[in-house]
Amino acid sequence: MGMTITEKIMARNSGREKVVPGQLVWTDVHTVMTMDYLGKTCFDKFRSLGKTEVFDKNRVICVSDHLVPPPNQKFATMLNEWRAVVKQHDITNFYDLGRQGIAHQIMVEQGHVLPGKISIGTDSHANTYGAVGAMGNAIGVTDAAVAMATGKAWFRIPQSVKFNITGTWQPWVMAKDLSLHIMGMMHWNGHLLYKALEFTGPAIKSLSMAGRMTLCNMTVDLGAKNGIIAPDVITERYLRNRTSDAWDMLASDEDATYDQVYDIDISDLGPTIALPGKLDDTVPIDKLIGTKFNKAFVGTCTNGRLEDFAAMAEIMKGKQVHRDVNMILVPASQTVYLEALRAGYIETLVEAGAAVDTPSCAACAGIHTGVAGDGDIVLSAGNRNMTGRMGSRKAEIYLTSPSVVAASSIRGEITDPRTFDI
Amino acid sequence: MIKGTCWVADDYVMAYDIIIQEYWTSAIDATENSKWVMAGVKEEFNKENAFKDQGYTFIVAAHNFAGGGKSIEHVITGLMGAGIQAVFATSFARLQFRNAINYGLPFVTCDSISEGCDTGDELEYDPESGMIRNLTKGTQFQSVPAAPFVAEVGEAGGLMNYIREKIAKSEAIE
Ligand code: SF4
Repeated sequence: MGMTITEKIMARNSGREKVVPGQLVWTDVHTVMTMDYLGKTCFDKFRSLGKTEVFDKNRVICVSDHLVPPPNQKFATMLNEWRAVVKQHDITNFYDLGRQGIAHQIMVEQGHVLPGKISIGTDSHANTYGAVGAMGNAIGVTDAAVAMATGKAWFRIPQSVKFNITGTWQPWVMAKDLSLHIMGMMHWNGHLLYKALEFTGPAIKSLSMAGRMTLCNMTVDLGAKNGIIAPDVITERYLRNRTSDAWDMLASDEDATYDQVYDIDISDLGPTIALPGKLDDTVPIDKLIGTKFNKAFVGTCTNGRLEDFAAMAEIMKGKQVHRDVNMILVPASQTVYLEALRAGYIETLVEAGAAVDTPSCAACAGIHTGVAGDGDIVLSAGNRNMTGRMGSRKAEIYLTSPSVVAASSIRGEITDPRTFDI
Repeated sequence: MIKGTCWVADDYVMAYDIIIQEYWTSAIDATENSKWVMAGVKEEFNKENAFKDQGYTFIVAAHNFAGGGKSIEHVITGLMGAGIQAVFATSFARLQFRNAINYGLPFVTCDSISEGCDTGDELEYDPESGMIRNLTKGTQFQSVPAAPFVAEVGEAGGLMNYIREKIAKSEAIE
C-alpha cells in the first residue's frame, strides 16, 4: 500500500519506512518559527527545560509581525523584550522591523521551508508552508519550546483528503475564491478536522506560488492539520535562489489511501464572499452586488503578495477609490513592498487613493493599522471575519479576494471584477 | 475520579470567543487568562471572573470545540485557571486539542454526551475507564480512551515536565 505525500514526509522525518494514520511519532523539525508577541514566552519556556542553546540557531526563525511598528507603549516594550531575548540566543535569522514581514510570508520567501521537510510555527497559519510541498504545522509555544530544545515535535499521522481541481480559471477569479468555495462546501462541521488536505489536478499545476500559498494558508481555517501541494517545476523555480539547503521532491503514490476525494471543476467558479461572522457562510458574488461598505483592506498572510498587488493595480489604474471608502493596503513583507514599488503597482494604487502601510499583520488581528470601529463594514481580503476580529465587536467583515476588493472600492459597493470596466 | 458540575455549550464554541481578541497579547498565565475566559461565548460571561465564579468542573460541547483556528495557549490556561478539569465533546479543533494534551488537561472525545446533559448537572469522570456518569440524570457515557502517549504526558503534568525529565536524564525522545 502506498503513502500520501504527508505520510511520506512524516515517515522520512521520523526515520521510518512507513507510517499509518493515527500513529503517534516524534519527527525532526527543519525550522521552528516564532514571532514578537509569543516569542519571549517560547524562549523562557525553552530555558526552563534546562537548555541554554537552541538546537540550531540557523533554524529557529524569529519574526516581528503582529506588533510592528508598535502602536502603543505596551507593545513597544514587549518588542524591546523580544529583541533582547533573540539577541541573547544569538539567532541568525531575525526579521525585525526594517527587514520584517508576516512570518509565514518570510518563511516561504526566504527559503526557510522546503519540500519534504517539516516546519512548525507558533501561529495558526503555518499551514501556508504546504505551498512548497513542506509539512507546515501550527503549534503552541510549548511545542515551540520543546522543538527549540530538541529539534523535534510530536505528531499524530493524519488521514489525507484529496481535492482534485480541474478546469480553467475565469479572469479575476483567484485562489482565494477556491479557498472560500471549499470553506462553504465543507463547513466547520468537523469533516476536515485533523485531516491533511492535498490539492492536485491541472488547475493547481497552473497555479502560481502566491495562489498556492493562499490555498494552503486557509486550510487551518477548515480545521485541517495541514494543506499541501506536491512540489513541481513551479516550486523548483521559486526556491532555486532562496536556499542552498537540499530538499526532497516527494509525491503521493498512485495507490495511496485517502479518507475522501473531492473533484472540483473551477470553470464555473466566480468570485466568492464569506458573510460577516462565520467563515463557512459563503456566497457567490451575485448575491451581494451593490452591498455598501466603508473600509477596504488587502494584506495579511493570505493575500498580501505581489500578484495580489498586481491584480489590484491593473483594476484600479487611472481610477479613484470611492469617496465613502477608506482603503488600506499592506504588503506581506518588505520584499513584496519593494517589488511592488519597482513594478509601479504602489504608485498606481496610491494615485488611486489607497493608503499603503508598512508590512505587518496590520488590522488583521485588530492590533493596529486601520482597526475596525463600531459600525464599520469592512471588505477584506484577509482570512478571518469573526466578531471582533479586526477590532470592534460592532463591526462587520466580509471576506473576499483582492480583485473584488479593488473593483468594489472604486464603485463604493460590492462589484464583480469580471463585469467591471478595466 | 473527578466530580463536579458541568456547563453545556449550546452552539459552536470557538477559541477566539473563549479568549477574546483583547487578551491575545497578554501573558500565558492561568490566573490572568481565567478572569476573562469565555467572554465572547455568552454576554453573561463578559464580566471579570464571570465564568470562573460559576465554579464548573466540566464543559460539555458538540463538534469542533475551541475551533476557528487559533493556536494561542491562553485558551487552555484560561479554562484550567477557571477550574475546568475536563472537556467532553463530540470533536475538538486540532490546535487546542494539541495544546490541551501539552498541558495535561483532558479533552475527551465522547459522541453522545452533548445531547445528554444540562448545565448544572453533576458529573463524575473516571479517567482510567473513560466512563462519564451524569449523577443528576442517572445516565452514563463511554468516552474514547486517551492514547498511551497522551496519558503519559498527562501523568507527567504536561509536555514541559515530560521533556524536562527526559532532558535531565539524557533520554532519547522518540
Ligand atoms: S496576517 Fe493575520 S492571519 Fe496572518 S499571521 Fe498575521 S494576524 Fe495571523
